[in-house]
Amino acid sequence: MKPQPIPVGGLVPLTTSAASDGREFQRGIVMACEEINQRGGILGRPLEPIFADTGSQTAHETIRATRFLISQGVHAIFAGYNIGAQNAEYEPVADAGILYIHCNTLLQHHDTVMSDPARYFGCFMADPAEYWYGQGFIKFLSWLRDSGQWHPASDRIAIVSGPKPYSIVIANAMKQSARQFGWTPVFPPRILRRLPTDWRPLLEEIRAAEPAVLALTHFHSGDLARFHLQFSEDPLPVLLYLQYGALHRVFSEMVGEKSRGVIIGTVIGLPRDEIGWKFFHRYKARFGPGSTPEIGCQTYNAVHHYTLAAAMAGGTAGPGGIEHNRKIARILCDLPYRSVSGTIRFHPQWQAAVPYPDATLDASLGMPHLFYQLRGPEDPAALIAPDPYRDAAFELPPWLSRG
Amino acid sequence: MSPPAPPQTNSGATDAAILDAIGNPVAVWDARMCFIRGNAAFRRRFGALVPADDTELTQTGFLRALAASGQLVQAPDPVRQDLAGCEFLFTDGQILKVESWPLPAGGEVTAFTDITETWRTQRALERAYDKAAGADQSKSRFLRAANHDLRQPLASLKILIYSCMAAETEKERQDTLHAMDVSVSIMEDLLGALLNIGQLDAGKVEPRIQTFQLSTVFDRLQIQFGQLAREKGLDLRIVQSRAAIQTDRSLLERILSNFVGNAIRYTEFGRVLIGCRRHGRFLRIEVHDTGIGIAPEHEEKIFDEFFRVAEQQPARHSLGLGLNISRRLAEVLGHRISLRSAPGKGSMFALDVPLGDIWHSSIGEAEINERLGGEFAGLNCLVMEDDRMLRDALITMLQRWGIEVQVLEHFTDIPAAIAALPVAPEIILTDFRLRGGVLGTDVVHQINDALELPCPAIVITADTGPELIRSIRSQGFPVLIKPVSPSGLRVIMHNILFEPELVPELS
Repeated sequence: MKPQPIPVGGLVPLTTSAASDGREFQRGIVMACEEINQRGGILGRPLEPIFADTGSQTAHETIRATRFLISQGVHAIFAGYNIGAQNAEYEPVADAGILYIHCNTLLQHHDTVMSDPARYFGCFMADPAEYWYGQGFIKFLSWLRDSGQWHPASDRIAIVSGPKPYSIVIANAMKQSARQFGWTPVFPPRILRRLPTDWRPLLEEIRAAEPAVLALTHFHSGDLARFHLQFSEDPLPVLLYLQYGALHRVFSEMVGEKSRGVIIGTVIGLPRDEIGWKFFHRYKARFGPGSTPEIGCQTYNAVHHYTLAAAMAGGTAGPGGIEHNRKIARILCDLPYRSVSGTIRFHPQWQAAVPYPDATLDASLGMPHLFYQLRGPEDPAALIAPDPYRDAAFELPPWLSRG
Repeated sequence: MSPPAPPQTNSGATDAAILDAIGNPVAVWDARMCFIRGNAAFRRRFGALVPADDTELTQTGFLRALAASGQLVQAPDPVRQDLAGCEFLFTDGQILKVESWPLPAGGEVTAFTDITETWRTQRALERAYDKAAGADQSKSRFLRAANHDLRQPLASLKILIYSCMAAETEKERQDTLHAMDVSVSIMEDLLGALLNIGQLDAGKVEPRIQTFQLSTVFDRLQIQFGQLAREKGLDLRIVQSRAAIQTDRSLLERILSNFVGNAIRYTEFGRVLIGCRRHGRFLRIEVHDTGIGIAPEHEEKIFDEFFRVAEQQPARHSLGLGLNISRRLAEVLGHRISLRSAPGKGSMFALDVPLGDIWHSSIGEAEINERLGGEFAGLNCLVMEDDRMLRDALITMLQRWGIEVQVLEHFTDIPAAIAALPVAPEIILTDFRLRGGVLGTDVVHQINDALELPCPAIVITADTGPELIRSIRSQGFPVLIKPVSPSGLRVIMHNILFEPELVPELS
């Protein structure tokens, strides 16, 4: 008799500005399910992914998509990020009593889970909160400065945020830790309620403040590309940091050679070690050269981690199978998993991955907060920090070296 | 190899059997203190030291052979000639004590009594006594130190309270309150550190070594001592550092606080300068002053407990504990203290601490949460809700998100009530139906008039009538239905503050 498949959900944005990431999240789930099924599934039962589009990731759209997946009887839901929903999707997940592993990268996950651990037992964040981007970036800058790899013209830093909570938290965290490490914000984080189509007036205002660093914490690839093309018309003499989305392949495709020198950070990426490279090549072979394994790895990791925990628990359970799913959740907490992105070790209270080196000094027990520097549009981004993951050296961006 | 058999007499065999029956080593020596015989226990323990032939073995020779044998943990005194009263600690842990009795015809009998258990019991008793005495001393030292060290932040607090009472502007008052808050936290840390010292005396506490930015300690020193230095007309200058160091944050602050406190105490004119410089893998933190200086003969003694320079002390109110505490803390941390001073010109106290890896630098927060770093952290919210239970639950949630909450309970004179608020609200959460038939929406309009600008507001209601909801929304207010879900409130608050185009009521 053919074993009955286990339905699992993919809660991914497949339309609107986050669709480029959403496609990679979908691919990550597909690839993980294929690999697991080739090895016999979970105790002999294959995984069957079902996807729901979260659109522009508002609370309404995300809840609707979550409810749809639950109505399909999924045993677990996997997601990259659904940031605009502000954790609203946790409610239907908690009501159904299933597992939900995402990479929302939101500090509010800590608050929600800790406010009622019994209710949100199944909600896990497989990457660290965005808060860590802020202080991690300031440490990275300080490391470049103190190790003599870069000689900033001043101690001033300009911080600009988009309107999403994710970007605001990162910007505030940067400001909060800047002074301790010898940096002075030129103004309080500039939170843009609406992203400008013309960035030039803001860039000129920043130029007048003569910062050595400009950090833009908005994260959508397309928006960042538009910004960067305008920045490149007359570059400011700054070290330029763009949030996560600039890591996406489409960013490099849009800005071309101008991308060279841009710094990007991610608290979940793909280290250039043996495990990371093997995944990189498998992913490219499966989805083509235009795919971005650095993003697809997020959901890929989550599916594998869940599979291990479910197998240890003796199988899976669908909506209503709360007691069994609690057992899987406990195993997820107790079982550090060396994913292709580094180690996912869930903090027992936060139910979020602990970051290295931001929150643990043990590289074997933390998800590495990686810093990349873009090279040419055809080249993979150089991984320049931290040890022991880095495989390339920082290079002065061309607009600074020309100066 | 066995020692030579002793001469046999008629009673010799009986004597030997009697001696062998004794469990402890026993030896018989002739009038010249040469070895005659030993019992079985002696042969087991010392057989290798007794010559196989007829060579004489004196007690002096026995002692030398024993010292050379490697059986002892510590060799006997080389000038010793006989065994009487010796105690031997063997490498196998056994301790033997020698007792001697003279024989009627000359010579003596020596017995080696096993005192291992007695010795252990005695040592355990000594340790227990030392521990008890140490604890008693530690308690006394703790009380003296607490008295000494708490005076400094208490004095600062006293000054700050007067400054706060005399503050002429809101900013001045807020700054002083902030400084008071820091002083109180310094006192808390201090008490914690002192308790640690007491526990360190008892050998129970390990310092908590971590990597952090020295600037965080310098900032606290500035707050702790800035006011005091100004009161005294001194220029307290801190050259800020970007270095990451590896030590115990709280204990380091104690050491430096003592240096800076002393510098201010013993300086009447000029300045106190705090800075640092790199020395290889270490950072030398220096506290310079232009004070009275220290005479060369006192440079070591000033680190002694209760040491005071007689002619200076009455006017300085010092018990002479600060530097002693600093030195003890530095020893615990393994840091080196150095001093350079010139009487009449000033002093420089320095502490060498290991440099740390900046990647490992802790920002000093034990827990990361929304109170600390959420998108609403620091936001000021005005809450108007009559139901005490609902209000308390709402306030708890908002505070968990890092929001500063103010409550408005009386609605008779809104302009006066708003003017009385310490800080103007940045967002309002109001129940629709307030006490006495007052409508929350009307109050918000009055608040906006008083503030002379529109403050974002969200209306909460238990009334689900579509007409009412429509009417509230038509006035430009987003509406939440009770019970309010945290994520629902979070979304509307975020949108109204940061993405107003997503709030249809505002369009």
